[in-house]
Amino acid sequence: MADRPDDPPILLAEGMHKRYGGVHALRGATLSVRSAEVHALMGENGSGKSTLLRILSGQVAADAGSIHFAGRPTSFRTPTDALRQGIATVTQETTLAPDLSIAENIFLGHRMAKRAGLVDWRTTRVRARAAIERLGLELDPSMPVRRLRPDLRQMVEIARALSIDARVLILDEPTSSLMDDEVESLFAAVRKLRDDGVSTIFVSHRIDEVFELADRISVLRDGRSVGESTTAALDRPRLIHLMVGRELEEETQAEQDRAATTTHGRPALHIRGLTVPGAFADVDLDVGAGEIVGIAGLVGAGRSELLEAIFGLRSTSAGTIEVDGESRVLNSPQHAIRSRIGFVPADRKTQGLVLTMSVHENLVMATTSGVPRLAYPRPIREALVVDDAIGSLQIKAHSSAVPVSTLSGGNQQKVVLGKWLASKPSVLMLDEPTRGVDVGAKAEIYRLLLAATRDGIAVLVSSAETPELRLLCDRIAVMFRGRIVAMLTREEATEARIAHFAGGHR
Amino acid sequence: MTRAASIDPRRQRILDHAAGVWAASSRYAAVLILLVSIFVVLSITQENFFTRPNIENLLTSVSILFVVSIGMTFVVLTAGIDLSVGSTLALMGILLSYLFNDLGLPAWLAVLGTLVAGALLGALVNGVLIGKVGLSFFVVTLGTLSLYQGIVNIWSGTETTYITSPLIDWFGFGGVGGIPSPILIMVATYVVAFVLLRWTYFGRDVYAVGGNIEAARLSGINVARTLILVYGITGLAAALGGIIQAGRLGAASPLVGTSIPLDAAAAVLLGGTSFTGGVGGVTGTAIGVLFIGTLQNGLSIAGVSSFWQQVVTGAILILAVAIDRLQQNPSGRIRRGRWGTRQPPTSIEPD
Repeated sequence: MADRPDDPPILLAEGMHKRYGGVHALRGATLSVRSAEVHALMGENGSGKSTLLRILSGQVAADAGSIHFAGRPTSFRTPTDALRQGIATVTQETTLAPDLSIAENIFLGHRMAKRAGLVDWRTTRVRARAAIERLGLELDPSMPVRRLRPDLRQMVEIARALSIDARVLILDEPTSSLMDDEVESLFAAVRKLRDDGVSTIFVSHRIDEVFELADRISVLRDGRSVGESTTAALDRPRLIHLMVGRELEEETQAEQDRAATTTHGRPALHIRGLTVPGAFADVDLDVGAGEIVGIAGLVGAGRSELLEAIFGLRSTSAGTIEVDGESRVLNSPQHAIRSRIGFVPADRKTQGLVLTMSVHENLVMATTSGVPRLAYPRPIREALVVDDAIGSLQIKAHSSAVPVSTLSGGNQQKVVLGKWLASKPSVLMLDEPTRGVDVGAKAEIYRLLLAATRDGIAVLVSSAETPELRLLCDRIAVMFRGRIVAMLTREEATEARIAHFAGGHR
Repeated sequence: MTRAASIDPRRQRILDHAAGVWAASSRYAAVLILLVSIFVVLSITQENFFTRPNIENLLTSVSILFVVSIGMTFVVLTAGIDLSVGSTLALMGILLSYLFNDLGLPAWLAVLGTLVAGALLGALVNGVLIGKVGLSFFVVTLGTLSLYQGIVNIWSGTETTYITSPLIDWFGFGGVGGIPSPILIMVATYVVAFVLLRWTYFGRDVYAVGGNIEAARLSGINVARTLILVYGITGLAAALGGIIQAGRLGAASPLVGTSIPLDAAAAVLLGGTSFTGGVGGVTGTAIGVLFIGTLQNGLSIAGVSSFWQQVVTGAILILAVAIDRLQQNPSGRIRRGRWGTRQPPTSIEPD
């Protein structure tokens, strides 16, 4: 199934060029997808992979290049056109109507079964059930999509894409918001489709997943194709080398940095018996100055809720919080910030940044809490803070006056981090700090967090990616159904043990 | 960093600032060009247009709309709209007459009381319900629009009451050094609003709340307070508009202000402030109001029915928003000078 070199490719895009104003996003990239294979498209942010996918899904037109689909030359003028020809796309942003049923969503766009001009609900439901079963799932087609877990919503999107007899399915970072077991069920569905003859183009920043799922891998760098290979013929370091164009020893480097900071000072954050009804109960947690503590657990275990409660976003019914030895009542983010707590939320676009404002304004935003509001923001004094952040975080921006929306994803995430470091926190909390960030930027964020601990900042990280926690943390608290069920030291925290406690076993 | 290290930071700052001003001005450049064009055409074709009395008349006639629109800009920047400004304006006129005629307060105290009442009404009703309770701005201000209009009609008995006071007349017909007071009030309002928005942390809060309310909240910005203040400012602006109106009429009338909310919203949007918040400013609004005023004035001098002014304003509003939309460009073609502030975040990152 994986490697039949004689087969003509089902989808062949050659010599693709695309320019956005002054940015040459694609410079002759090539992608060749065979039928019935899972083809991973890899590259750092800015390498042109999203642009290539947008061309293949009809969202933008290429400036130059040729596309052959099923042996015939073609082009995709609109997303509908691409869909009609047999290329279906599922993106990170969900495009479902949450209050409509699964069946209605699958056949959205006048494609429900009809009788005498009216919707034939019975047949529609039967067809929807068949479409879902094709992915190896059983769901009630009349259930509203709002009630589904995120991974199942994604399955509905895939079912919708496939209900049009697609021959190529594009999955753009489908796993970025899924838990491990959900990822498995997604992969099972993709493999089932491959066995049915459907090809999948798969984009993910998680390299392990790519090696697990993909048959072949194409790598883009700076808008050009720099390699195509079967997965078996590649290993992780070589793939990273292709993507980044240089050696990147993320793990060993972080490991060394880690070893250099072993002694931790007084507890900066001291929590006893913290309870938020319906989210978590009776949480005890200490984070020392210069220490990194991780929180592991499944989605819904109460990880995010715990961080939000500490940041004053949820009202607690019991418990105490001390920061630097002082008891604090935290009812709002303002209280938390004045108690020198920082919080990097999970979604930088909807929670972390004001995209319409400049890099400068975003970087100083968290430092102005408590300043009289009619005061004049003194530009030179602020510029010192901003230049310091841009320099020490190596944020790549044309100038600090450009809107933060013009930066790449990794640089945007660094701005969020810089904004909180600029507020000089004692405790820095991060929720999924590297979601949707490429390998290069990931390594840099790890480096910055470790640097922060050397300044005596206590760091509390919640993440669904246990390898990340094991790499970064001195200790890992595992949550299950709103309680901390285990506190593991660095040595104790094996992948298996974390999964064991996160699954609710004793 | 792509920024060259050799450039003097202070010079870089100035360049950045200039680029920012350019990016902001490109939002209202189209309407500004239109405004200048009609101005030139009218000056050439209508001999009575470019004369001191007519320009004074033009500016005086838009002064109420101008003041209210400046206040409205704050609300639109937070991604809201205040539909109640017109009935607030009428209500403040009636209140002014009550304070002055019925309570017999000195004119200056009646004026001051009216301004304070307008600010409090905006802050404590619209502001608290929207900012603190979290209700939809549309529902709340639609409700207060009707509520205040009802109070106006009940309280006044739908009768116009005359106000005879030199001070209040000054707001309509007075002046300093030969410049009519409505024009002076316009300029002062603009300057205060500009300073508030550009040179204070409060102004930044307004842009942040409009740009991304969640991120603003998580950055420690007091979102509720910001919204309460913003609706207070609109209320204050409506009260000031009501006082100018009373001065110009020499009376408090329950019939004034009905077309103000939509005209003000049109002026703000024509001036390039984004309906979705976070982008824009009072300079654009000033240009939007002057455009509407010039059109109105020019058409009336030319003897065209003023209803045509409504038709043209509506068409140009839609056109301006459509041009803006096309430049943001959902289909992926990005205009030059791409780091202007218009593009939605998803369309600019090439990857």
